[in-house]
Amino acid sequence: MATEDTDTGPWSDRGFALGGPDELSEREQAAVEACLRALADDEFVLAERYTEWQVRGPTLEGDLAVANIAQDELGHARLWYDLLEDFGHTEPELIWERPPEDFRHATLVERPFARGDWADAVVRGFLYDEFERLRLDALADTEYPRIADRVGKVQGEEHYHREHARNWLERLAEGRGDPDNGHRRVQEAIDRLFPHALTLFVPTAYEPDIVEFGVRPAPLSELRQAWLDEVVPVLEDFGFRLPVAADAHPEAVDTLLPTARGRDGEHTDAWADLHDEFTFTYRQLDRSEAPRLMVDPDDADEGGDHP
Amino acid sequence: MIFEVFRQETESDYHEHVGNVHAPDEEMARLFAQVMHARRKPANSLWVVPKEEISEVDADDPGVAMGGTTQKAYRWATNYSTGRMAEEIEASEAEQVEAEARRRSTRSEGGDD
Repeated sequence: MATEDTDTGPWSDRGFALGGPDELSEREQAAVEACLRALADDEFVLAERYTEWQVRGPTLEGDLAVANIAQDELGHARLWYDLLEDFGHTEPELIWERPPEDFRHATLVERPFARGDWADAVVRGFLYDEFERLRLDALADTEYPRIADRVGKVQGEEHYHREHARNWLERLAEGRGDPDNGHRRVQEAIDRLFPHALTLFVPTAYEPDIVEFGVRPAPLSELRQAWLDEVVPVLEDFGFRLPVAADAHPEAVDTLLPTARGRDGEHTDAWADLHDEFTFTYRQLDRSEAPRLMVDPDDADEGGDHP
Repeated sequence: MIFEVFRQETESDYHEHVGNVHAPDEEMARLFAQVMHARRKPANSLWVVPKEEISEVDADDPGVAMGGTTQKAYRWATNYSTGRMAEEIEASEAEQVEAEARRRSTRSEGGDD
């Protein structure tokens, strides 16, 4: 049992090293915020990109499936942005009025899709969702109760994403219909996206604190190794070439990183356009706040799937 | 390929036909069916069936007899609830109820038998 008696939330049966949002030291709060920004921005920007496939998917069913996944990711982003609001940030500050260079997502999620290049969406989903699983597993052990409370909810929707990505990958790799086309497009997407996928694991200046305080107890370097062990063999088994072996030395892997790495605020050229696009309506309507259509996640499902 | 989808709302419901999905194979069909037919409606289970595997009996096909062509109204249970037969049954039931009531009152008067 937890010794502290400060809260009666659903997490109260487990002890946490960190307190609620009002109980953190300045350094602890900075670490929690840095961790949440990477999480929320990854999900939000990926959802923005996925949404471009809406009404443009290869089939009606494929279209709905990817739109459904985009909706899931937006929902996850909302859960994480909501935790940043605990610290007094408003939604416009976090999304609609935030300068593009303040976003902390990895460059993988901001890259544009070439017109009709479904293999790109499939490879991107595969690389991202395998990372997402590892990150969520690590966050299940978080010492910050507000994150712990929400991890399970997000994990529940990720299984479908991974199955979706793997099933498509398998079929494109096997090549039904035109084998060369599917296989070639996946290989090109791997060549193009793999370096950007590595930016998912680029640590920020807050990484030592994030790990030390247990916001995410497993360091990104550990997650990257686990990710390489997972994705490299799967892709190689399908007959694709990878730029590194799963057991390559970390320094060798680092050399593949692109110059812009996202997590430090430096992004690729595609980001400015995407940012401009999703903030366009907000600016055009001269908004200063974001209307809320849904109840706060904390009030949304009382008595729902909490442990 | 077209797969027909049947959705079961709760464990105690029948699977009902809700539409179909296009997919290259069963695995993808199961994946798509979840989004197409269970995302916004409660579902305990989905049956995803290749359309060509479904055997159909069409009422318009020659030689098909859905219920036959001659009068067989006597097979309907509702036919027994009217007419002389029904009156006899009703009277008989009433007699039995009366007899039962009589037996019960005799017993209670008879004390600890």
